[in-house]
Amino acid sequence: MLSKFVDFMENKLSAPMARLSEQRHLLAIRDGVISSLPFIIVGSFFLIFAFPPLPESWAITKWATEHAAGILIPYRMTMFIMSLYIAFGIGYNLAKSYKVDPLSGAQIAVAALLLTITPSVVDELGFVLPMQYLGGHGLFVTIIVSIISVEIFRVCKQKNVTIRLPEQVPSSVSRSFEALIPVAIVIILMSIITVVMGVNLHHLVDKLAAPLVTAGDSLVGVLVPVFLITFFWSFGIHGVSVVGSVARPLWEVYLVNNSEAVADGAETIPHIAPETFFQWFIWIGGSGATLGLVLVMLFFAKSKYMKSLGRTTITPSVFNINEPVIFGAPIVLNPLLIIPFIITPLVTATLSYIVTSIGLVTPTHIMPPWTLPAPIGAYLSTGGDWKAVVLVFVNIAISALIYLPFFKMYDKKMLALEHGDSETHTEEKGIS
Amino acid sequence: MKVLFVCSGGMSSAIVVNALKNEAKKHGQEMEVHAIGTNEVEEELKKGWDVCMVAPQIKHRFNQVKKHADEHNVPCGPIPPQAYTPLGGPLLFKALNELKK
Repeated sequence: MLSKFVDFMENKLSAPMARLSEQRHLLAIRDGVISSLPFIIVGSFFLIFAFPPLPESWAITKWATEHAAGILIPYRMTMFIMSLYIAFGIGYNLAKSYKVDPLSGAQIAVAALLLTITPSVVDELGFVLPMQYLGGHGLFVTIIVSIISVEIFRVCKQKNVTIRLPEQVPSSVSRSFEALIPVAIVIILMSIITVVMGVNLHHLVDKLAAPLVTAGDSLVGVLVPVFLITFFWSFGIHGVSVVGSVARPLWEVYLVNNSEAVADGAETIPHIAPETFFQWFIWIGGSGATLGLVLVMLFFAKSKYMKSLGRTTITPSVFNINEPVIFGAPIVLNPLLIIPFIITPLVTATLSYIVTSIGLVTPTHIMPPWTLPAPIGAYLSTGGDWKAVVLVFVNIAISALIYLPFFKMYDKKMLALEHGDSETHTEEKGIS
Repeated sequence: MKVLFVCSGGMSSAIVVNALKNEAKKHGQEMEVHAIGTNEVEEELKKGWDVCMVAPQIKHRFNQVKKHADEHNVPCGPIPPQAYTPLGGPLLFKALNELKK
């Protein structure tokens, strides 16, 4: 009965959904966004340098505040205009998946994005681009125009609507000529929209996306991806990589909007739920908040297998790598551990959401690398809020408490197996 | 022997790399094991590998990886879920040897 249910869930629900996330355009968006992360991570750290989490009276704090605009320039050229990097990444990856020249695809996507913005002439400076459209506010437009422009490029290529040069011409030269017609089509199309018709795509898409942006930042908007991620992992599928393909653009918009608010010295930070919120407050020890489970393993395990698993997985767990726990315990297809694996993050997510929304903890706005231990990551991500560190420890305690009774039941089972038929227990470990 | 592990980002399989290396040593074999993420597969396979193994959490991408591996005639199989832990060396070694046949 139970195994039939599990079969049904795996084959009819989780597997098809996971395959859906492998759809070509979603994949290109995912890889495009991920390719920009180094720039977002490094860029966001300049926010800490500009607003160091140190007493205001210190000389270094005063110096940083005075020079904030200058210190923030590296941030402005990376994270602040992340859509420019992402357009390049999406264009490159989508073209590559069609097996057409990736570099041309990337360049065409960048041209399409730039042509959604109208430069203005400013005295002394000459032509000036409003940079905010290249940042978080421009991400949805970036995704749309990158995909459309690369589609135009590859259709032209596949239908042979290109200018071809004789074979003697070097391939780098002929390649750039092959892109001539699609580039012309994209540039003319985008110019008609932005210049001739005078449409500001960003305003248009901002209005359309507004309900989505609000929904994703609500408590339900946080709990749904949290549930889905542990749901996928329960079948052994990398939940973040599936759910993130769809949700990550939204999460990055929140992050960049938050960082902009901080950089501009705004009173309130607008969003609760950038990806960093999930990373540092919920996925402590990895998806499913398993650091609590591993700690319970370390201190309460009676069975030999659980003891040694606790010892070998504690180090990777501190750095948020928990596949060894998920497949080793295993949590995958193991109802006894799946229950706390799904419940724990829902509880810690709700708590973290509430304390952030009532202003007790600063919303995350900086993106430290995800392999840092959670207390450090949370401290940095909130721009140095010690209350975020307290929240992390509270969440670890909650996680340990929820896992404890389930783990004890499971550990007892394992212990019985070890004392019983020692020949079969190695096989049963994985399936029980 | 050169073994390529593929997982989501190349992070988690790095832990399993050592489990396999140690197990191989027990059997008197030197093994070169390298862990990468799925987006590097296509390029990496060109460099010549003896076996390619795919981590369980990306089983929904297995066929895609296998296609690339087939193009280079590299035997490609899944890593058994129970073997995907620091303690999974023996099981992993067994799966690897079956794949090589």
